[in-house]
Amino acid sequence: METKTISEGDKLIIAVSGRVDTVTAPELEANLKFGDAKLVVLDLKEVPYMSSAGLRLLLTSHKAMAAKGGRFEIANVQSAVREVLEITGFSDIFNIV
Amino acid sequence: MTARRSLNLKVAISVLAAFVVSMAFSWFLHNHLSRNDAHKLIDRTFESVEDEVGDCVNERLVRQCMAVRERLEDGHATDVRALQDLARELRVTEISIADAKGDIVASSVPEYLAGEGRQAFSFVTAGGQAEDMMCLVHGPDTEFCQPLRSNTANGVERKFVGVWRPEGGFVEIGCDKESLRSLARSSIVDLFRNWRVGGTGGIVVTTPTGLVLSDYDEPSREGTQWQDPDWSFYWQKREIEGFMTYVMIPKISAAVQRDVLVVATAALNGAALVFVALLVGFVISAFVRRQMREQAAKELAMAKDIQLSALPSVFPPFPDDTRFDIMASMEAAREVGGDFYDFYFTAQDRVLVLVADVSGKGVPAAMFMMRAKTLIKSAAQTGKPLAQVFNEANEALCEGNTSSTFVTVWAGELNLHTGHLTFVNAGHNPPVVRSGNRCEYLKTRPSPALGAMEGVEYRVDDITLAPGDALYLYTDGIVEQPAPSGELYGEERLLGLLSRNVRQRGEILKTVLSDVRRHAAGAEQADDCTQLVLRYRGEPDVVAHEYAPTLEDVAKAVDELTAALETVPVKERARLLVAADEIFANIVRYSGATRWSLSVELDHHPDGVRLVITDDGKPFDPLAQRDPDTTLAAEDRAVGGLGIFIVKKTMSPVTYKRRSGLNILKMGKDYGD
Repeated sequence: METKTISEGDKLIIAVSGRVDTVTAPELEANLKFGDAKLVVLDLKEVPYMSSAGLRLLLTSHKAMAAKGGRFEIANVQSAVREVLEITGFSDIFNIV
Repeated sequence: MTARRSLNLKVAISVLAAFVVSMAFSWFLHNHLSRNDAHKLIDRTFESVEDEVGDCVNERLVRQCMAVRERLEDGHATDVRALQDLARELRVTEISIADAKGDIVASSVPEYLAGEGRQAFSFVTAGGQAEDMMCLVHGPDTEFCQPLRSNTANGVERKFVGVWRPEGGFVEIGCDKESLRSLARSSIVDLFRNWRVGGTGGIVVTTPTGLVLSDYDEPSREGTQWQDPDWSFYWQKREIEGFMTYVMIPKISAAVQRDVLVVATAALNGAALVFVALLVGFVISAFVRRQMREQAAKELAMAKDIQLSALPSVFPPFPDDTRFDIMASMEAAREVGGDFYDFYFTAQDRVLVLVADVSGKGVPAAMFMMRAKTLIKSAAQTGKPLAQVFNEANEALCEGNTSSTFVTVWAGELNLHTGHLTFVNAGHNPPVVRSGNRCEYLKTRPSPALGAMEGVEYRVDDITLAPGDALYLYTDGIVEQPAPSGELYGEERLLGLLSRNVRQRGEILKTVLSDVRRHAAGAEQADDCTQLVLRYRGEPDVVAHEYAPTLEDVAKAVDELTAALETVPVKERARLLVAADEIFANIVRYSGATRWSLSVELDHHPDGVRLVITDDGKPFDPLAQRDPDTTLAAEDRAVGGLGIFIVKKTMSPVTYKRRSGLNILKMGKDYGD
């Protein structure tokens, strides 16, 4: 489980690689620092699957950004992750790029 | 049926009785009416007869009176004596001559003449009937007849007739009965010969002493002594102008009319009764038919219930055993045919499947089916070899089988460990074996159907199924369903359909059924359609480990699971890993378990994975949890419950058991064929 953060002005891109589950979610949570960014994009290109532990992080991130008037987006969603998002109705909440 | 026949008999008897009663009533009624009619006719006839006789007599007497007048004009003397002589000569009783004032100036009766303190008889002063005679003086009549009647003065019966005299006044003659009869007799003779009353009746006139003067009958009784008619006539007699007159109608003549009426009325009544009887009969028989139909429907429903309730209906029937699958279905025809299927373990590693078809239909077939099914099952579950099971069942079913009902059965016993299948075909259609992508009929020499013949030694054959092979059993309702053209569905069409759909699993039953329906093209299902698929999967590969309730061990379990699922396609692997993670998280966070374990079963042919996760924590049935609302907005969403929801949505089957203090969750995914 690794993260790589790229900052482009107000925009923050966080690329995650590796599975997001009960074991790895605390580590990912620690790396989700948004600072003053107005737009945060979570790049899930390298995430093969995600359990509800990961969904919780997506939800808290979305709420945190919304609270300060920013936006939270996820990108490059793989099919297994997309399936989980769809099952849980999260695909309607998030801006999936 | 007996009740119905006796009901019909009762209806028939009451109709007959009603017919007879109505006929009798009608006869009495018409008898009465015809007698009344006959007498009315007789009364009316008498009016005419009286007129006729009266006219006849009057004419005769007027002629006689004219004869008297002629003699007087010829200068006949008018003294009493001379007139008495003239009266005698002309057979009248008395002769009088009146002048224009109405006084008698000459008479054969001295008392009418004036003399010795007596005035002459005056027609004017005598008044009454005598005065009527004055019309001859005043005009316009020139002749006048009075009816025969008693003289008010002396009680002597007389009929008076007068004719006018050109010189004034009139001549009057009086006749008593005797004279009247002797004068009129020749006129009366044959007077009524040609009169007919009421068809064949007629009029007879006799003298008061009974000498027949006029007769209607042939041969004529004229001149003979009269005898009153007998009972076979309606008749009456009256005395007219001194003659006895009889009007008579033979009863038979009246009766013909009456009988025609009676018969017509009775026929009408009969027709009405027959109509009513038919109507009643129709209503009753419609009612009975409806009762019978309802009864038959009830019986049919009962037979169907017996049949259906006997069939195992929970699928998959053994979800814990991954070594085989069974799917079965029966589509009962409208008229129950007595098809059945069955499956059960006969030993720990041996499962028996069978389909059967009982001859005949309805409740008897359903009862026979129950016996056959029970006999086979109870023998098979004692672990007896299949041949012996069939031999014993056959003997039992043959015993006292008077209705010659029999049952065709195909039964196979599969060793789940080795795939070895032993089977008996008791007169049934051959099943289809699918091996890889190839389907073919498993044709062997069949033994006779159960219950058909005593003392049969049932023949057992065997094949060995490889993991992934499947066996398709069916009854003749499938292959013998006719198309509207009469063409049967047939074995070849069935084999072709199965061969084209080798990748289908349980759905194949519906595929076959809908193809059979398409073939029937709207025609009614001819027979029960029963199908069963047994799929042999073989023993799974099992990896099992025990863990502590820590995140470290969850990481370890995820790694080991990932490794175990190496051969599983990426998409299925991801689903299994997500589902496993949800369960692991629950155990570690919430269950209070001290240890938990994961075993992974990898199935082949078709491929599939079963994860069995156990923990000794507090009881928790994930399947019993309420699903979260996945339509809420982000602000209202919580993460709790989502994990279990994901498991339920992505895994199939999922089962939960609590046993020996352990939560045992089994979940998996089949993905191959």
